[in-house]
Amino acid sequence: MSEATSNGPLLVASGVTKQFGGLTAVDDVSFAIPRNAIVSLIGPNGAGKTTFFNILTGLYKPTLGRVSFDGRDITGGRPDKIMALGVARTFQNIRLFGTMTALENVMVGQHTRMKAGLFGSILRLPRVRREERHVRDKAAELLSFVGLRPALHDQLATNLSYGDQRRVEIARALASDPKLLLLDEPTAGMNPQESGDLTRFMERLRDELGLSILLIEHDMKVVMGVSEHVTVLDHGEKISEGDALTVRTDPQVVEAYLGKQEAERQRTEDGVG
Amino acid sequence: MTGDAAAPRRAPAPVRGPRTRPRAPKLPRRARVGLAAAALLGGAILPLFLASGGGLIEDATLALAYVVMALGLNIIVGFAGLLDLGYVAFFAIGAYTMGYFGSLFHINVNGGEGIHVLVSGVAAELPGIHLNFLLIVVLAIIATTIAGMLIGLPTLRLRGDYIAIVTLAFGEIVGRIAINGDEITGFGTKLTNGRQGITPVDKIDLPFLDPFTALNLRPWYWVAFVMVLLVLFVNFRLRDSRLGRAWIALREDEVAAVSMGVPAVKTKLLAYGTGAAFGGISGAFLGSYLNTVNADQFQFSFSIFILAMVILGGLGSIWGVVVGAIALSFINNYLIPDVLNNVPARIGLDFDLTQLSFGIFGFLLVIMMVLRPEGLIPERRRQLELQEGIEDLAVDGDDVQPAVRP
Amino acid sequence: MASASLTGARAAAPARVVRAFLDKYGLICLLLVMPVAFGIHDLRTEGDLSRLGNNLLDGLSNGSIWALVAIGYTLVYGIVELINFAHGDVFMIGSFTAAGFFGTIGLTAATGVPGLIAGLLLTLLVAMLASGSLNLMIERVAYRPLRGAPRLAPLVAAVGFSFILQNVGLLWRGGSQQGIVDLINSQKELVMIAGVSVTHGDTLAIAVTIPLVLAMTLFISRTRLGKAMRATAQDPDAARLMGINVDTTISATFLIGGMLAGAAGLTYALYQTTVWYFQGFTAGLIAFTAAVMGGIGNIRGAVLGGLIIGVIQQISDNRIGSQWTPAIVFAFLVLIMVFKPSGLLGEETREAG
Ligand SMILES: Nc1ncnc2c1ncn2[C@@H]1O[C@H](COP(=O)(O)OP(=O)(O)OP(=O)(O)O)[C@@H](O)[C@H]1O
Ligand SMILES: [Mg+2]
Repeated sequence: MSEATSNGPLLVASGVTKQFGGLTAVDDVSFAIPRNAIVSLIGPNGAGKTTFFNILTGLYKPTLGRVSFDGRDITGGRPDKIMALGVARTFQNIRLFGTMTALENVMVGQHTRMKAGLFGSILRLPRVRREERHVRDKAAELLSFVGLRPALHDQLATNLSYGDQRRVEIARALASDPKLLLLDEPTAGMNPQESGDLTRFMERLRDELGLSILLIEHDMKVVMGVSEHVTVLDHGEKISEGDALTVRTDPQVVEAYLGKQEAERQRTEDGVG
Repeated sequence: MTGDAAAPRRAPAPVRGPRTRPRAPKLPRRARVGLAAAALLGGAILPLFLASGGGLIEDATLALAYVVMALGLNIIVGFAGLLDLGYVAFFAIGAYTMGYFGSLFHINVNGGEGIHVLVSGVAAELPGIHLNFLLIVVLAIIATTIAGMLIGLPTLRLRGDYIAIVTLAFGEIVGRIAINGDEITGFGTKLTNGRQGITPVDKIDLPFLDPFTALNLRPWYWVAFVMVLLVLFVNFRLRDSRLGRAWIALREDEVAAVSMGVPAVKTKLLAYGTGAAFGGISGAFLGSYLNTVNADQFQFSFSIFILAMVILGGLGSIWGVVVGAIALSFINNYLIPDVLNNVPARIGLDFDLTQLSFGIFGFLLVIMMVLRPEGLIPERRRQLELQEGIEDLAVDGDDVQPAVRP
Repeated sequence: MASASLTGARAAAPARVVRAFLDKYGLICLLLVMPVAFGIHDLRTEGDLSRLGNNLLDGLSNGSIWALVAIGYTLVYGIVELINFAHGDVFMIGSFTAAGFFGTIGLTAATGVPGLIAGLLLTLLVAMLASGSLNLMIERVAYRPLRGAPRLAPLVAAVGFSFILQNVGLLWRGGSQQGIVDLINSQKELVMIAGVSVTHGDTLAIAVTIPLVLAMTLFISRTRLGKAMRATAQDPDAARLMGINVDTTISATFLIGGMLAGAAGLTYALYQTTVWYFQGFTAGLIAFTAAVMGGIGNIRGAVLGGLIIGVIQQISDNRIGSQWTPAIVFAFLVLIMVFKPSGLLGEETREAG
């Protein structure tokens, strides 16, 4: 595509709309993610944030609008192909492969970076053997990088604690060497200390690995602390965007959240407790 | 699966409590290797202890052919989690490949002279097409792999139980075509011989060996044994490979798997294709071994027979499936007809026990599902999934709906 | 499916219009191919449509039997999302029970009309009870313990039960088709309307089906239990929260589905005057096809699907050859499941992307 430059934004969504029957979950949202940056997507429950993620990653086809990644049109492309291009994600409700070990989960994350085919695997050619070893080592490295104790690497994912499951999910997403990481409420259920750790971790990803991160988050402390740019969705529409301060003081944003104030306070309390 | 994004936010996944049932103790690796080696060695020398033409070796050979099919089906159902109720289709296609290229079926071909490729003995003199057995096996593999993918293709977007029914329907269609294929003609030949079946079928003819005979069954047994070794090897290698992991991932949570870069279509088709190929190999062997391609064999009950082996042994559990297949084929071909059959008469009842065999398999399926769904020799993951419903939990999230709902 | 409404909003590229059309009317067109083709054929060779008319009528009466069986599939699927594979065999057992009961109460072809009607009503009751309680028992023994297990488990158990019941049938009446007493003189013509011959059998099939389907619809929409069934089908968790006893509701669903299968079993025995242990397997798949065709979970859909499948089957029997009918029905099954799994009347489902 024409905009294929290495300096343009990493991801551009223009006029993205998604309807479910009569419901418009995402309404004409345009959005850009710069390279090497952390940006956030916030909004009350049901605003359409996760749906937007699902469009970016190819799980949903947008009703209208286009998405391009790294200068390439990925609108409605297959999820595995989009993943191969460099968009990796985590899920709001953790979706690890429960009966696989932490290590195996991260190995699956490297699927697109592997070459072994049917016959190569059956014959276990030297090339395949080498690849397998390399993938295993890299998985272990990543797990350590996200802070999972080595003793837990061979635990089944289903037996890990909630915080560790989140870690493994991030490691699994990182395993494909993505350029863009989408995190859907990674701090849900974490205590403030853990949230703080995660914030620093995201900054490391950006600075050490050169990643861009799109973050969906309800915890305003995290959002305000880490993101260079914030976009606010409400009822599927983009109602505000800008840096953290601008957004926080935008009357429209305040209003969107006000109706939910009570619920919101309870939520944060839940999260803390 | 009522994933509704508007529903209240789900609480974080609870950390699981202690297991409801203790897991089967796992033997140390060395003991397992020793046990496997002993079993294989025993299997290899077994014919030396059996009469070369007797009923036991006949049943044992049949059992091995069933092991091959069960391990093939295990790739589809056990590894990839695609419930296939039409596996008989691959048996049929393999057997017909044997019939087409190793019998008098195309009797007028080449002006009645026949076509012969690398065959010796009687077959070299007969009209019809006669290819070397190994060539036929290659053809059977090609035919069944293609059929497996064609049957698999339309099921890819469906959910588990719909896949089961579509594969069942395909199996039935293939069976119907086998039975009524004598009405379909083209290129100067019928599609099948209908209920008459294709018989006789060429005996296996391997390079450097004399053609096999019906009198000495040992060579047949060893050929079947080599097929078992082959399918075992493929099962083990695939299970612990990139593809094997991708199958588990898709089986557990398709949405997460595709989001992690696993191509759903290709990965599932590879399962169908490889699983089907073994049905074809075994089918070709059985065509020759049974000396007939009998259209009445290709029924739904056969698919269930093979499925019951996989389930009895343990879905996804390679040694379990071997044990399940051997057990069921001996129950079916030896225990019921030869040993237990006169029991009802002895206790004064008037029926033929062989009539009960499918009721017995049905009973087995129900009992296994209710009491021990993970099978006799469970595979670790499947045990977790079946006992605790992890599979369902994973799909319950409200991020995305699982694959198309009807 | 769900894209139909979306495409309307978009610029109408021809390909998209075609796709939307096929999505909406493709299945209907597919279903019309055979009747229309043979109708034209008849008009050209015989000058009238009476042969097709007869096919249609026979098909409808056959189909009304399938409709009763299909309702059982659809009810159960709607509520527990299980393909009750043993359902066809429950139908078969209903047939066998009825055929056996005729003899027990001494019904013969010579019995007078009032006695015959009374006897048949009694038999109907017995067959319905037998099949209903059998289905109930199966749910208790094989499916209930597996609720919450992966979907594969109850389905395999259902297949297992199907085999058990077939074996019971095999022991009961042997391995071959068995003729039974033709109580109602099934093939005898009652009236002839425009070249279409209405037989006793046709009348009976329709006379059994219509009241039962009506009663069924009323039951679902009016009674407490019926409402509980609908609520549970929509969302079992919410239903439980609302105080509905989900277990009882599920049991009731199996009971009712089984009873309808029993009624179908009796009708089948009277209509075909033969019974066979294998009749359930074929009937089960045909009825399942009907349920999917109509849109699974939808009772009106099951009836519609049953009638349509009956007609397809009759046309195929009569024009192509009955040995090919199963293959044709299965081909329809595959096509529908693959291209329109929501069926004719199925609700539009959430889109998966
Ligand atoms: N597959 C679907 N089918 C129909 N409606 C859907 C689907 N997925 C989401 N929705 C609806 O779209 C709207 C947006 O949902 P979404 O999950 O994107 O919100 P969200 O911003 O992520 O909310 P939360 O903060 O609760 O996670 C909701 O009203 C939801 O019910
Ligand atoms: Mg969300």
